[in-house]
Formats: sequence, structure tokens, C-alpha cells
Amino acid sequence: MTASTAPLTRRRRMFPAWFRDVLSRPSGAIGLAIIVVHLAIALLAPMVVPYDFAAQDSKAMFADPSAQHWLGGDHLGRDVLTRTLMGGREAILVSTMATGVAVLWGGLFGIFLAFAGRFVDEASMRMVDALLAIPWILFVMLFVAGLGTGMGVLIPILGISYGLSIVRIVRAAALDVVTRDFILAARARGERRSVVIVHEMLPNVLDTLAVQAAMTWSWMLLGFSSLSFLGFGATPPTPDWGLMIADARSAMMVSPWPVLAPMIALSSLIIGINLLSDGLAKALGVDRMKKSAV
Amino acid sequence: MEFRMIGAAAAVAALMTLSPLVGHADDTLRLAWDEDWGGAESLDPISPNRHYMINDIIYSRLMREDDHGEPIPELATAWSASDDAMEWTIDLRDGVTFHDGTSFDAADVVYTFDRIMDPAIDSPVASVLQIIDHVEIIDDDMVKIVLSSPHADLPLLLLDYRIRMIPEGSGDTIAETGIGSGPFMLESFDPQGTSRLIAFPDYWEGAPKLAAVEVYSIPDSDARIQALLAGQIDMAGASFQQARLFQGNDAFVVQVYPAGSWQAIVFRTDTPPFDDPRVRKAIRIAADRQAFIDLVLGEGNGEIACDNPVWKGDPYRADIDCAQDIEGAKALLAEAGYPDGIAFDVYTSNLESEMVPIAEVYQQQVAPAGIKVNVVMAPADGYWSDVWMVESASITSWSERPADQILNEAYRSTSSWNETYYNNPDFDALLDRARSELDPAKRAELYGDAQRMLFEDGGSFIPYNMNGLRVVSSELTNIPGDHNDNWIRWELVTKDGATN
Repeated sequence: MTASTAPLTRRRRMFPAWFRDVLSRPSGAIGLAIIVVHLAIALLAPMVVPYDFAAQDSKAMFADPSAQHWLGGDHLGRDVLTRTLMGGREAILVSTMATGVAVLWGGLFGIFLAFAGRFVDEASMRMVDALLAIPWILFVMLFVAGLGTGMGVLIPILGISYGLSIVRIVRAAALDVVTRDFILAARARGERRSVVIVHEMLPNVLDTLAVQAAMTWSWMLLGFSSLSFLGFGATPPTPDWGLMIADARSAMMVSPWPVLAPMIALSSLIIGINLLSDGLAKALGVDRMKKSAV
Repeated sequence: MEFRMIGAAAAVAALMTLSPLVGHADDTLRLAWDEDWGGAESLDPISPNRHYMINDIIYSRLMREDDHGEPIPELATAWSASDDAMEWTIDLRDGVTFHDGTSFDAADVVYTFDRIMDPAIDSPVASVLQIIDHVEIIDDDMVKIVLSSPHADLPLLLLDYRIRMIPEGSGDTIAETGIGSGPFMLESFDPQGTSRLIAFPDYWEGAPKLAAVEVYSIPDSDARIQALLAGQIDMAGASFQQARLFQGNDAFVVQVYPAGSWQAIVFRTDTPPFDDPRVRKAIRIAADRQAFIDLVLGEGNGEIACDNPVWKGDPYRADIDCAQDIEGAKALLAEAGYPDGIAFDVYTSNLESEMVPIAEVYQQQVAPAGIKVNVVMAPADGYWSDVWMVESASITSWSERPADQILNEAYRSTSSWNETYYNNPDFDALLDRARSELDPAKRAELYGDAQRMLFEDGGSFIPYNMNGLRVVSSELTNIPGDHNDNWIRWELVTKDGATN
């Protein structure tokens, strides 16, 4: 609609067209709103939370919600509201940065493979297939067991393991583009391969990459929280949703809030990201349900 | 469609398997086995995989504990030591029969001990009895235990829950037959399903009041609590959080009993900065132990321990004062060369539900003394091999043991489980003297000195002994509320109490 009736003189707009398109779709708008709220909470939480996240109080152990503790207390009497509000900070930071790593290496390597000769492409893809056959959690644990669980370890490892599927999808998208005339022209001009990749190929697979990035972000968030749940992610007493759920689950029947609050927080953010990636996919014309060719 | 059929069939099958649980047999005690050893459970009392729940019911020991933890007669009727505590003579009970009809005598006792000490069997129980040189028959009703070094408290060692009398020559079959002399005998054994024991009419203390005991495998703790709430089992251990579900419910009695298991942060005394006794003491006295009980276990679910592995129910427990002393800790740290405080890692894992909270509470407790603790999470798999006794500070967990056993097992310089790498010849010498001291009062003093030495100089921070907690159907009678399951006289238990 906007495209056909656009005025001839281009006015500067606050947002580019594809973004306005995302916002015009309910899934995109709602998803983005949820994410913005979560990011705002994560940024502002340290300034607004009512308690110290690590302060223990035996009188508030498994306390029911009250005026003092709106969401009650956990197994060490710590304020569940405080810990839930703070609980996304590390998860969001790690998952965002790891998504960046995954998109960067997965995207560039995927495009490179579309260019590379048949032998390199085949060999690399079979290797990617082999690595994809290993469950990601096993893959991550192999490294975590040896290197520890710091952010400096988790971000690259999560990035590398989740980047594998991006390699596959971006390569497929790039193979569609690589035989187009403008690419052939660029190569005929004698452009360096890196220039062709960055200036000619990348813009043309960016829509696929954007949708994939959003989906990877939500998987990454779930992945990091699973690691925390298992004791390999955030370190106590850091407030972290996965860790909070793990700590409180044994007392779930008598004290549900310490489990419910982080569960609701985590799932709402994941739903928000998924809604956004759905909106993105529709706006950019990338069908999420369609299987890409290999 | 097919899937739906399979689903329905599975549901029916599940109901059929569960149906024996639903029945309300008034003459059958129903218990839950809470371990999951993948079916490797053995009825051999000295196997590392011993099914200790069933074994406690089908076998007998020479002695059992009285209310104060002192040995009283079971299959032994009397015992006495030579003046040098090197030889013990034990009188055996007459008229005791095994489940296969053979009678119990001195040859069975010698066989049982020889088997425990047999290097070819390599039982974990052998280390408990390593001071025994040999056991010999005096006559049918009397044996003599000859020691290789003096031990005035041998009967305390013989209380070990694994030292159970089996018939002579039964070693090869005992793991399946379970032939003992206890109040119930084995009818069927399925450690991952249902095992059934039936009353042994010839039990030497009289036939049991109930007809049978059934043991269901329910390794998941929440499932166990649900089974108890639904009336499918008659009693189960519970955590203090779970016990809240039974509050105000007349159909159940919640029993909290003092017990000797303990957890601790162990600091390797051979590794800096913990090789300095002043640092060790500072990082222990900086914590308020009551806070550990209140926060980690829940108020009233533990007894304060002063870095003292001997529990309150043990006759040799020493009284030590270990109030929190932040200023004292700061002074000790300054003296040791850390005027600005100290920082170190403490390794933990979510292997047991208290192991992470202990580290978190410790971190908060000692911070005011300038002690900065960094909690490091380690995988539960391999924790005991890769972290415990490897890293310089980690969390440990021990079950209840008598004073002599735990002091020797966890702190003697030569012990393989000397987890703090404690190497103090004075401490070892104290333990040797205590073992050979025949006067009980002097012996208590020596064991007390050893415990005080650990508080001054040792490497374990032991904040508490954990109470046990058991939820019992109010139908049951004769379940002693102030002791662990080893004290239950299974032949006396009835289901005549108040009904649901």
C-alpha cells in the first residue's frame, strides 16, 4: 500500500519501510513491545528493585506474596520480585552477544560456501551436518566441562554451536543469488571475493539472516536458561531465571511463586522474540515454514 | 488413531501395575525405596550396592543401638574386653533360626566376619573392621575377636548397619536369597518394581504383628510424597519443604528426629591460603551457624555443629562454643598477612539440594569480615572424583557415623578420605590413645580433645548436623519418632492406629 502510493519526493522517515511494515503487523508490534519492556526492565532494574538481590532473610523463606514481598520469598528468603526483575540481565546479555557471534560467523561462512568451489563446499557442509548431529547441549557441555562457565566461554561456544544452522540456511539463500547477473558482473569486473561477499551478496541474504537471527536469539535465550538450570550458566547468587527455576523447583508444591515468576518472565520474552521474528518474516517475505534447499 | 490405541493400552497397563498399590491392606506395611541404582541393588549386606532398606528388615546384627546410641544385645547377649582391649569375647544368643530353618551359631559369626575381611571380596565395610586380626570360635555360643591394635569401643563399630549375620557358606547366594534372621523374610525381590517380604514366624523375639512388608521403588521424591498423600505407601522420608504439605492433616504424623549426617565446606590444609591455621580459623568463625540452619535447612531442622563431625546423639560429642566472631576473624586474617581481607573460590554442585545454598549463605555470612567468596558451580557428574579433594575449597556431605569412625575416616593423616588433607601427628596420636583407653570417662575426654583440636586448627567448616524428617501414616504404631529408621523394630509395627 505504502509502496504504490509513495510520494515522488522522498520524505525522511523515522523508520525504514520494512520496519514500518513489521510494526503494522500485530505479531511484530506485540512482539517488539514485549521485547522493549523486557529490555527496559533489564536496564533499569538495578535502580528500581526494592531489595538487594542477594539479601537473605530466614523470616521470608518461602513467604507468600505480601505487601513487603510482592511475589514472596525464595528458599533463602530473598525477594522473588527483585530477583525476577534482575533475572533477565545476564541471560539477555549472553544470548544477544552469542546471537551476534552466531549470525556473524554463520552468515559470512554461509555466503562464502556459496562461492567456494564444489570441494570446499561439500566438505564443509558435511562437517556442518556432522556437528549438527550432535545435540547442542552435549556440544556446549564438552567445552564447559573443560573451560568453565564464564561469559567469556559461553558466548563463543553458544555462538559457534547455534551458528551451524545459520551456515546451512544462509548458504542455501546465497546459492540462489550467486548465479544472478549482478554477481557475475561484479566478478567479471575483477572485484575481490571479500568485496563481492560484503557489498553484493550480504544485502541480498540480509532478510533471511534477520529472520534467522531473531529465531536464534529466542533459542539462545532458552539455551542459556537451560544451561543455568543445569548449573552450567549463571553462577549463584546471580539472579537468573534458569537458575531460579532450578533452585525453587523442589519446593514448587508448597511455594509456587519462586518458580512461576521466572517462568513467566522467561517465556514471555521468548514469545515476544518469536512474535517479532514472525512479523519480520512476513514483512520481509521470508517464509518461515518453507524448508530451504541444501 | 494407532497412537491413540497405544496410549489407551499404556494407560490400562499403568493402572494394572498400580492397582496393588491402591488396595488398602491392613496387614501389609508399604514402604518406598528412594534410591535408583538401575537394578544393581543387592541383598548382600556388604555389597557396595546393598539394599539397606530391605536388609535392615531381613537381617540381624550382633548389637543394636539404645536410645543414647550405646550398643545393646541383639544376636549377641553379652561382651567383654581383655584388660589391654586387644581381645573381645562375645556371647551369642541361643535359639535363633535363619529363614531357611538352620540355627545360628558361632560358625556363622566367624564366617560373616571372615567374608567381610576377605580381600577378594573387597567390601567397603572391610575398612571399618581393619583393626580386627581374626575371629575364632570358643564354643557354639561364644566367639573371640582378636584385634591387631587395641580398641575399647569395638561394639560401637559392630553397630555398623552393614555388619549383618548370614548363614555359614551362604556368601555366593546371599545376594539373591536374602536369608537372614530378621523378623521378615524375602518372598520376592524386584529392586526397580515391588519387593515383598513376609512375616518370619520363628523370629527369636516373637512373630511380627504384620503379615508382610512391600517395598516399592519410587526414586523421585515428589512422586513419593504424592504416593504418601494418596495412601499408596505408609511412610516416607521428606524434605522440610515437603513436610509443609502434611501440616494440619490428621492422617499423617510428621516426625523430626536428631541425626548425624552433616555437610561442610572443606578447605585443603595443604594448599595456600588455607595452609595457615589462622586463615582456616578466621574463615570458619566469621559465619553465624544458626543462620545456616535457618536458611539452608529451615528453622529447627538441624543442630549447630562447631566444625565438629560428631553429632549430638553420640556419647563422645564435645561441647564447643562457636559463636560468630567477625572481629576475631578480621584480627586473625590481619595477623596472617591479609589485613585487607581475602578472596577465594568455593566449588559446589547441585548434587544435593543443600549444597548450593550452603555456598550462597556462606558467601553472605563471611562478607562482613572482608572474606570474598566466589561460588563456582561444577557438574554433578564426576563431582566426587574431579572436584572434591581436588579443588582447594569444596562442599562435602557425610552420613552419620560414630565418633571414632568419623574422626579416623575424615581426619587421620593416613585416611584415604582425609578430605582436608589434615596432617597433624598430635591429632593422630590422640585418636590412638583414645582407642586404647579402657576408662570411658578418660576416653570421652580424649575424643573431646580431638574435636576441640579440629575447631582450633582443622580445615572443615561444619555448620550443622541435619535432622531427619519422616512422614508416617497415623495408622502406624511403634515407629519411634526421635530416631532414624535403624531404630525401628519392624516386628512391633502395626496398622492399628487412628485410621484415615
